[in-house]
Amino acid sequence: MTDATGAVPVVSARHLTKTYQLGEIAVHALREVSFDIHRGEFVAIMGPSGSGKSTLMNLIGALDTPTSGELSINGVAISTLDKDALAELRNRTLGFVFQQFNLLARTSALDNVKLPLAYSRDSAKQARGDELAAQRLTEVGLGNRMDHIPSQLSGGQQQRVAIARALVNSPSLILADEPTGALDSETSLEIMNLFHRLTENGMTVVLVTHEPDVAAHAKRLLRVRDGRIVEDRAVAEAPV
Amino acid sequence: MSINEYLKTALIALRLNVLRSVLTTLGIIIGVASVIVMSAIGSGASKQIQDQIASLGTNQLTIFPGSANVGGRRGGFGSAPPLTEKDLRAIRDGVSGVTAVSGRLNGNVTLVLGNANWSTRVQGVGSEIQEVQDWPVDKGRFFDAREASSGAKVAVIGATVARELFAGTDPLGSTVRLNNAPFQVIGVLSEKGQAGGQDQDDVVMVPISTARSRLVGRLGAPDQIGALLVKVDPRYSLADVQSDIERVLRERRRITADKENNFIIRNFAEILQTRNQASQTLGLLLAATAAISLVVGGIGIMNIMLVSVTERTREIGLRMAIGARGGDILGQFLTEAVLLCMVGGLIGLTIGAGVSFTLSKLLGWPMYISPVIVLVAIAASATVGVVFGFVPARRAAGLNPIDALRYE
Repeated sequence: MTDATGAVPVVSARHLTKTYQLGEIAVHALREVSFDIHRGEFVAIMGPSGSGKSTLMNLIGALDTPTSGELSINGVAISTLDKDALAELRNRTLGFVFQQFNLLARTSALDNVKLPLAYSRDSAKQARGDELAAQRLTEVGLGNRMDHIPSQLSGGQQQRVAIARALVNSPSLILADEPTGALDSETSLEIMNLFHRLTENGMTVVLVTHEPDVAAHAKRLLRVRDGRIVEDRAVAEAPV
Repeated sequence: MSINEYLKTALIALRLNVLRSVLTTLGIIIGVASVIVMSAIGSGASKQIQDQIASLGTNQLTIFPGSANVGGRRGGFGSAPPLTEKDLRAIRDGVSGVTAVSGRLNGNVTLVLGNANWSTRVQGVGSEIQEVQDWPVDKGRFFDAREASSGAKVAVIGATVARELFAGTDPLGSTVRLNNAPFQVIGVLSEKGQAGGQDQDDVVMVPISTARSRLVGRLGAPDQIGALLVKVDPRYSLADVQSDIERVLRERRRITADKENNFIIRNFAEILQTRNQASQTLGLLLAATAAISLVVGGIGIMNIMLVSVTERTREIGLRMAIGARGGDILGQFLTEAVLLCMVGGLIGLTIGAGVSFTLSKLLGWPMYISPVIVLVAIAASATVGVVFGFVPARRAAGLNPIDALRYE
């Protein structure tokens, strides 16, 4: 599962298949999908609803396991892991960013960013929680808003808190599900630029969206339809 | 996740909905408060009973003629041959471990002082009665052994009699008429209070020989005694002394081995035990009431925790996505339920203690909040939290993160 350069891909899918059983009918959400995502890539996954992109995202996010085929994250096959091991994998290697931000209400930005560390098995990291969280908040440009609670922040600021939370445990991969869906276009641009900057510093970002404008910010586009990858291409430079 | 984190998260969650948290714990608050109040009244009453019995003397035996077997209508009280001064001497000389012994003859009498009079109990007793009953005189003196046996016309009066008949004047040295015989008041007993619904201080004590000849009509033997009161040295076993007395009396009264006693030996330790059993039964009833009210409170907790799990489905999904295990979520909601119950328990405890204190001040009831019941109340609240928080917590822990994240 190594590529030509010998590095282990962050995400590696081989003949990935997911079938849901709805009563008598088998729904083929994904059919034999194969691809690799390497360190530092900025990938957009696009597709209409029902195309299987949500299923693909759940698998990459280690929230679900495949029916057949294999998906590896940092070389670890997720179908070999039990629920607790999946939780630990998510904690250590993945950072989630959601459309609705999913911040804890009436909890300061700093405490929100610290949250993943509470579930970490790494006590050294836990002890440095405040420091790590403050550092990440400064990185996303909210160093002066640490004590603010979500309701005191704008949508763009809330999403940046969520990105800081995703980064706090130094993951291998940021998984963003429609991260700009609840934001206006100007704020969206800020968020996409933030992702862009992260990938330039070596972070891997996978973005799920149905907006071509947003996908245009990525460097690689995976288009999903009817459970298959129908397009896998590099995105031209200089987006809108 | 550490306990600290659990507690912090639980506190934040409970603070988000203060009114709901308080209403939820109302069942626990009322339950615990009522348990505290009831047990305070209950143990106050039983403590009072025990204090009274202790004041009567626990290492004291009372012996009177009669058969213990009342159910079979076999020779009731009084039908057996009476006890006499000879029995008293036999016990004093023949039984080791007896520190004091006195006879007693009871009767009723009217005291007359000038144109005032007062009807009360008269007790003909020996000079050792003070030691047997641990009941000293407050003023004056008690009659001595010589006076007790020589028919001296002296009287020692109880505090109630002194108050009612003498109304503030000094009774010592004055002469009162008991059934028309003049008696000199030589002492006033210290105040002893109520026991078994009777005012112990409403009494007049005279030498037993005097009572026999002048106050309590002559019955049977000339040296008759109504009852024998024995004080036992605390270093001796009460049961051993009791069986020694039984042996001596059976011998003197010529009771053959195949016959039952025609006298009864009563021991205050037994009475104390009976009272203890009664208060234990009361305690059990209170515990049952507590259990019921706490179960009702617990159902309220479970109900609101289930609502809370549903409301916070997205939060649970998020926590799972960022790495919370099922066990972490279980711990979080269990901590919340236990905290809710403990806070309710503590509030209930405070209210219960306050109500008990107020009642005892207003009504003059004796109150006693035992540390044990406090611990039991807190432990019970925590247990209710664990038991009734478990189902909602397990439901939260069992959520599928994908569905939970998508929950609207």
